[in-house]
Amino acid sequence: MFDKVLIANRGEIALRIHRACHEMGIKTVAVHSTADAQAMHVRLADETVCIGPPPARASYLDASAILSAATITGADAIHPGLGFLAENADFAAAVEEHGFAFIGPAPEHIRLMGDKVRAKAEAIRLGIPVVPGSPQAVRDAAAAEAAARLIGYPVLLKASAGGGGRGMKLAGNAGDLARLLPLAQAEARTAFGDDAIYLERFLDRPRHIEVQLLGDGKGDVIHLGERDCSLQRAHQKLLEEAPAAALDPAARERLTRLAVTALRELHYRSTGTMEFLYQDGEFYFIEMNTRLQVEHPVSEMTSGVDIVREQLRIAAGMGLGYRQSDIALRGHAIECRINAENPEHFRPSPGRVSEYHAPGGFGVRVDSALYQGYTVPPYYDSLVAKLIVHGDTREECVMRLRRALGEYVIGGIETTIPLHQRLVEDPEFRAGAYDIGWLERFLGPRR
Amino acid sequence: MKLAGIFGARRPPLAPDSEMIRTLAGLLGETGLTEIEYAIGDHRIRVAREPAAEHPPATNGHAPAMPPAASSAAGETPTANGAMPAGTVTSPVVGIAYLAAEPGASPFARPGDAVEAGQTLLIIEAMKVMNQIRAPRAGRIARIFIEDAQPVEYGAPLMLIE
Repeated sequence: MFDKVLIANRGEIALRIHRACHEMGIKTVAVHSTADAQAMHVRLADETVCIGPPPARASYLDASAILSAATITGADAIHPGLGFLAENADFAAAVEEHGFAFIGPAPEHIRLMGDKVRAKAEAIRLGIPVVPGSPQAVRDAAAAEAAARLIGYPVLLKASAGGGGRGMKLAGNAGDLARLLPLAQAEARTAFGDDAIYLERFLDRPRHIEVQLLGDGKGDVIHLGERDCSLQRAHQKLLEEAPAAALDPAARERLTRLAVTALRELHYRSTGTMEFLYQDGEFYFIEMNTRLQVEHPVSEMTSGVDIVREQLRIAAGMGLGYRQSDIALRGHAIECRINAENPEHFRPSPGRVSEYHAPGGFGVRVDSALYQGYTVPPYYDSLVAKLIVHGDTREECVMRLRRALGEYVIGGIETTIPLHQRLVEDPEFRAGAYDIGWLERFLGPRR
Repeated sequence: MKLAGIFGARRPPLAPDSEMIRTLAGLLGETGLTEIEYAIGDHRIRVAREPAAEHPPATNGHAPAMPPAASSAAGETPTANGAMPAGTVTSPVVGIAYLAAEPGASPFARPGDAVEAGQTLLIIEAMKVMNQIRAPRAGRIARIFIEDAQPVEYGAPLMLIE
């Protein structure tokens, strides 16, 4: 096992990794910008190195400063955390070239999954379903109708050159399609100078469901179940839970088997998450995240597996500490992301934390680097805490979450706690009846 | 300037360790640092020789004498920091500082030397690249805060030019 690990990150995730290291007897090196000299991950680390000024590109994204810090402190390995350099294949390769272990996936897998077009092609090759679409542009009504029949209505018409919703039309049947194709082509031509249109199945109320995976890099892969992360605002997850209420055991078995089989074939190493849209009993691959995720504690609570500890074991060449048959998923877990933001219009709210009291008690976990007197700097992500609760059933879990949110005091800055309190009182949320558009609709009238 | 643990020794005993404090105080004088905080786990010893701020001050990222090689200093920590005197040259990178071009060679600058603006004061090795640290202005070297081959972090005080 490693003697000393450098944690190339900040905030709650740096603290999360520090905790796993110390429980394994591993010394930690914290790197930090000048803005983070008083941060909790710095205060608790065995050694600290200031690597640059506040802007992330000059500190937490400065690969050479981080590698120099690892050199002067004699670290054996580097954990990139999440965000910053965690999915930068060149950084992962540089870490290994400089003789340190990279606590994460192989650089080629980071590169493969980071390229969305290649990742989708690889998913198809590995037998994973993707959102059905026309393989190439449809030039006329006849070609469009033939493609739409194969895909299934409703279909979305999208500009090949496009983005941002321009040239995008929704066709519910063949009549719509014949009428909308020329319009979409004209819009695409005007907007992008190219009238190529392709078709894709339109999912009107999908859920976002993802599978937590761990691989040893030699072909052994296990899963820790799925998470439902459908509660999103502006593509940012706000609350995650496991298991996903929408899946029955057969669907869960099908999903996890698909994901595990694919990663076995890749000989995937370390932790990763495969993300899917789920609607009408079908899964569609969106992307794979080749790193630890913000919401990983949800799966830790239901599986009892410390995912960061497993990452450290795998990177040290000790393999997985569990077989799939050792994993018994138990109860229900929910994570609330607490951001330093106004809970209604989401404007960031950095500043000094004047009071701090974290909830506790049975089944409650708080991952946060906050403390009373700490100043949340304005330079970085607004996530300041994660409240994770576990219960035997979803009902028990939601009641515990409600109780814990009521105890949580973060004074001096605005946070999203009041929004989570509104959520847990909502009948639809309590029934688990939501899709990826639900939160935006829930927030809509108040903005 | 915080160098917690860079002196990387064994876990300190639980009781206040007068010998350790004496050693650190000696290091303060030797290195010219104003403050050393030594921490392993929960145990922390801080020695300072100027009245410092309420908390150990953040590494100064706003030294008036930032070398030309430094990244943009705009929008930096607003916290006041009186610990570093004006004219302090700080490190723009993390790395290993060398006072001479090669082992045994005479140093680029000695205390008392007059230096021209742009003159090389020392070298900091970062990722096998030798970064020349140049004098931001003409003056006299009043202090050298580091030893040869010492690891330095971003913002570490290197020399004082008067």
